[in-house]
Amino acid sequence: MEILKPHLKNYLGAIIGAVISIIVAAGASLLQPRILQFILDNLLKNDRQAMFNYGMILIALAVIGVIAGILNVYFAARVAQGVTSDLREETYRKIQTFSLSNIEKFSASTLVVRLINDMNQVLNVVMTTFMQVLRMPIMIIGAFVLGIVTIPRFWWLQVVMFLAVALVIGLTFPQLGKMFDRFQKKLDRSNTIAKEAMQGIRVIKSFNQQENEEERFGEVSDEMNDLNIKIGYVFSCLLPAFFLVCNVGITAVVYLVGINVENNPGELAAITSYIGYLMQMLFTLAFGGMTMAMYARGFVSLGRIKEVLDTKPDLTFDPNAPEVELDGTVEFDNVSFAYPGAENETLKNISFKVAPGESIGVIGATGSGKSTLAQLMTRLYDPTSGVVKVGGVDLREVNEGSLRKAVSLVLQKALLFSGKISDNLRQGDRNATTKDFRWAARISQAAEFVEHYDDQYEHPVEERSANFSGGQKQRLSITRGVVGKPKVLILDDSTSALDAKSEKRVKEALEKELTQTTTFVIAEKIFSVMDADRIMVLDQGQIVALGSHQELLANSQVYREIYETQRAKDKIEEGEL
Amino acid sequence: MKDFKIACGYFWKYLKQYWLAVTIMIVLTLLATFFQVIAPIYMGNAVTALTKYVAQLADPVTRASASMAAFYTALKLMALYFLLNVLAQFIAWMIMSKFNADATNGMRKNLFAKLQRMKIRYFDTHQDGKILSLFTSDIDNIFNALNNAVFEIVSQGALYIGTLIVMFSINVKLALITVASTPFVLVIALVIMSKARKYLDAQQDEISNLNGYVNEQINGEQVILSNGLQQESIAGFKKYNQRVKDTMFKGQFYSGLLFPLMQGLSLLNLAIVIVGGIWLIVADSMNTATGLGLIVMFVQYSQTYFQSLTQLTSIYSMIQLALTGARRLAKVEAQAEEDLVLDGKKQEGLRSKVALNDVHFSYDEGKEILHGIDLSVDKGQMLALVGPTGSGKTTTMNLFNRFYDVDSGSVTFDGVDVRDLTLKSLRSKVGIVLQDSLLFTGTIADNIKYGKPDASDEEMIAAAKQAQIHDFVVSLPDGYATKVSDEQSIFSTGQKQLVSIARTLLSDPDFLILDEATSNVDTVTEEKIQQAMDAVLAGRTSFVIAHRLKTIVNADKIAVLRDGNVIEQGSHAELIAQKGFYYDLYTNQMVLD
Repeated sequence: MEILKPHLKNYLGAIIGAVISIIVAAGASLLQPRILQFILDNLLKNDRQAMFNYGMILIALAVIGVIAGILNVYFAARVAQGVTSDLREETYRKIQTFSLSNIEKFSASTLVVRLINDMNQVLNVVMTTFMQVLRMPIMIIGAFVLGIVTIPRFWWLQVVMFLAVALVIGLTFPQLGKMFDRFQKKLDRSNTIAKEAMQGIRVIKSFNQQENEEERFGEVSDEMNDLNIKIGYVFSCLLPAFFLVCNVGITAVVYLVGINVENNPGELAAITSYIGYLMQMLFTLAFGGMTMAMYARGFVSLGRIKEVLDTKPDLTFDPNAPEVELDGTVEFDNVSFAYPGAENETLKNISFKVAPGESIGVIGATGSGKSTLAQLMTRLYDPTSGVVKVGGVDLREVNEGSLRKAVSLVLQKALLFSGKISDNLRQGDRNATTKDFRWAARISQAAEFVEHYDDQYEHPVEERSANFSGGQKQRLSITRGVVGKPKVLILDDSTSALDAKSEKRVKEALEKELTQTTTFVIAEKIFSVMDADRIMVLDQGQIVALGSHQELLANSQVYREIYETQRAKDKIEEGEL
Repeated sequence: MKDFKIACGYFWKYLKQYWLAVTIMIVLTLLATFFQVIAPIYMGNAVTALTKYVAQLADPVTRASASMAAFYTALKLMALYFLLNVLAQFIAWMIMSKFNADATNGMRKNLFAKLQRMKIRYFDTHQDGKILSLFTSDIDNIFNALNNAVFEIVSQGALYIGTLIVMFSINVKLALITVASTPFVLVIALVIMSKARKYLDAQQDEISNLNGYVNEQINGEQVILSNGLQQESIAGFKKYNQRVKDTMFKGQFYSGLLFPLMQGLSLLNLAIVIVGGIWLIVADSMNTATGLGLIVMFVQYSQTYFQSLTQLTSIYSMIQLALTGARRLAKVEAQAEEDLVLDGKKQEGLRSKVALNDVHFSYDEGKEILHGIDLSVDKGQMLALVGPTGSGKTTTMNLFNRFYDVDSGSVTFDGVDVRDLTLKSLRSKVGIVLQDSLLFTGTIADNIKYGKPDASDEEMIAAAKQAQIHDFVVSLPDGYATKVSDEQSIFSTGQKQLVSIARTLLSDPDFLILDEATSNVDTVTEEKIQQAMDAVLAGRTSFVIAHRLKTIVNADKIAVLRDGNVIEQGSHAELIAQKGFYYDLYTNQMVLD
């Protein structure tokens, strides 16, 4: 609840409106049986003027009730929407201060769930609070008090009825909640089976597994059914039980009035209104129980959002660091790194220095730490020990803008955002012009297909970039990487979906156009890095060799082995074997 | 109207076996409603009796003969009807809970079974998400409607009509006063509901837009971070967030309006009834006791009447959703199923060859993909299919085990058309290793034994060893009992492919179709995949969509496919000698995909 407080303050006007309107609306409903009673009283006394007056009051109450009710919905929706959307923005802002490891700890998909589904739960909580929860105590206390005012000697009946309904609710609702949770789990399970059966339909059919799949699904479906029936039975008992309690109450009231009517004839006209109050109290209580059950879920969601807001970003840039133009020097000084929570170090004691304009190839098997190297250079992570410097500045002290401008990372998984091609390219350089796009797209070999479109760089990028092939996506992603003319360019296996010819052209263009840029080419295959000035061979987080292709062939056993195995394969592919 | 009929037909199909329970439920509901309407009459009578009794007591003449007997009779009857009402309701709901759940379970299971029997074409032309929403939303909507709406229609409908009848039989004038506002109320309710519906739909769209944006941004956070785009990302978010806020406000406002409005109108109507009642007593010069009883009764009836009216309007949208759901489900049930060819020949074992004879094929009528293909593989041999993207390689692969059927020509095993073989025996002899490998939720053992659930552990381990995945599996703490699902990432893409090869090895098919493409795997895994593929191909009659030169060169026969035609066919040496398309592909570094 505390995370809502600062946002609630901004909607004080609407909150006051909602509270006043709910009090007025509740008051109108509460007074109605009382007025009714006065009318009946005066009917007995045959006082027409009074009857007419009370009739008018009743109509006025109805009108006030409707207006207050509408205003209440209006204000409650205003508060709920305002607070939730502010909280959602606050949460999103918070997420944008997160480091990669913060995000990975939560996982992207649960963050999305928290921003959307959990927020909707919060919305319901706020809405329910200002429409029903505040109304409940007013109605229950109001009805209780007015009931006693109407026929004072029946106060004990009200207490007994209240306790009876509260007991029924208290006993059954927690059980129901548990059943619903169990049902939700079964539902998720059955949905998973159905989803897999859709995606794997070819596998199922080619192995003739339809019947087994049906059985698998049937089992879960039957379990769901059993639970459904159980829940149904509980409701089938619960609701009649509630009505039974109400009916016993009504009968008792009529009976009790009846046996004492000689002494209290005035109570006759009060019967209807008294029963009205009794029912208002009991229905509010029962309805309130259900509301509270839903309310509990909303609090779980609030907790999950709070968890995001309370998370400290584990990597921040010094806002006071001076903006400087960094050159292309990259230096690792005895750097070791372990992913948060991991036991083993991914990188161990890495030291090297690269001069501006140099090209470096990085090779090694999966898990050797190649991509981690790239993530340290871009300060997506800080090293566990040692220092990473770009342009001579320790990245822990660098200005964020300066680093982003100097270093550009192109990932193997070419992530494009839906929108237009130009939107995506401008992510690499906010001020890039079409001329810059053309220049960059020539390097990445993207120009050949982009400039084929009528709308060229304004061509849409669909969701999941579904309108581009893997190779096209990678080329666009490389375009984005080079468009800002970075001082350091890191290509992390980012030509894997390109054919050999295009890959070669990209490399040639990079060499020609980005002479001042330090480039790191991370790859699995020696073919991709052979021409680099120096090649770094990583094995289990350590540099095992560093030098030119010729040097390494001569001096490095590991490099030679990799080269031989890959060359053997090449030879097969060349048809020599 | 036709849609409505289809939806009703669907409900009929699943509910008719419960006809007895449904009938009992309806009768009991009607009875419960009847008791509910009757009880207030006796309450009114009790009040009238008491009023008379008090009047008799007040008058010295009748004081001696004053009796409470009438009051007690009325009170007893009231209590009796209350009790009967609760009892009938209880039994009706118990019965209903059971048959509703059972009927829905039947729908759910039948839907799943139906999907299992349907043709591959359906899955290729419909998004998984849309099919899945049949389970997640349509069946759910139907269950909700059956559970709430059906009962409400019967009880509230009966209550509505019953109240009307009773009101008119008691006092026509006062009854007319009570219902006078109804048309006006209905119009207001319908207008509000249609508005609410419109804005709720818009709200759904905006939420899914926001969801899409947030999803994309957070999943692309590495790009955002490494380019320093956080502020831009927040600016984009604010736009979507604002739109959600605006449409949601309208949706919430309009859908929240119905309840207070109907409550207010109910109260207003009550006032009208009372004022009208008083006027009636005066105008018709009724005696006070009768008049008071009448008004007490009509106060109850007016509330009941309005309550049922409110309920009926608010379940309207629930019923609409259920009808839409039923229509969609009925449409799926009407889809064509695979022909199982139960009376066909059994495919026992491949004796001579598998062949495609002058095969023409199109997915959509008029757009032919394969234009008369002739291919054959002799027993124990391997045919490699090569060709550029879109040449029809994958399509050809789909014909052997009848994922699709040819337009003309035939696919034959030992000269027998696949359409004359029982589908089960055909598929048990044809194995496929697909490019995208999928794991099912369960243990690793379940996944490897998928095609042959009764395989022994020794057989499974042998297959896993051949598929180069055994070492990895035993390195996991739970070994073969490790739980996996397609979403969780114990296995990399490449390792998933190894599991799927192990699966195929274990089922030991006569004829194998293999798509060689491996994507995004590291060198070590790629090496393993290739060894595994070689293992599964060894000694088997196979048809390979080839990407590796080694496979192509080692194939017994190579067929080059281009634009749906086989343009060259022969051994590697023969094709090189031809200096045709294959020769070009080969000399151009074999850029295949």
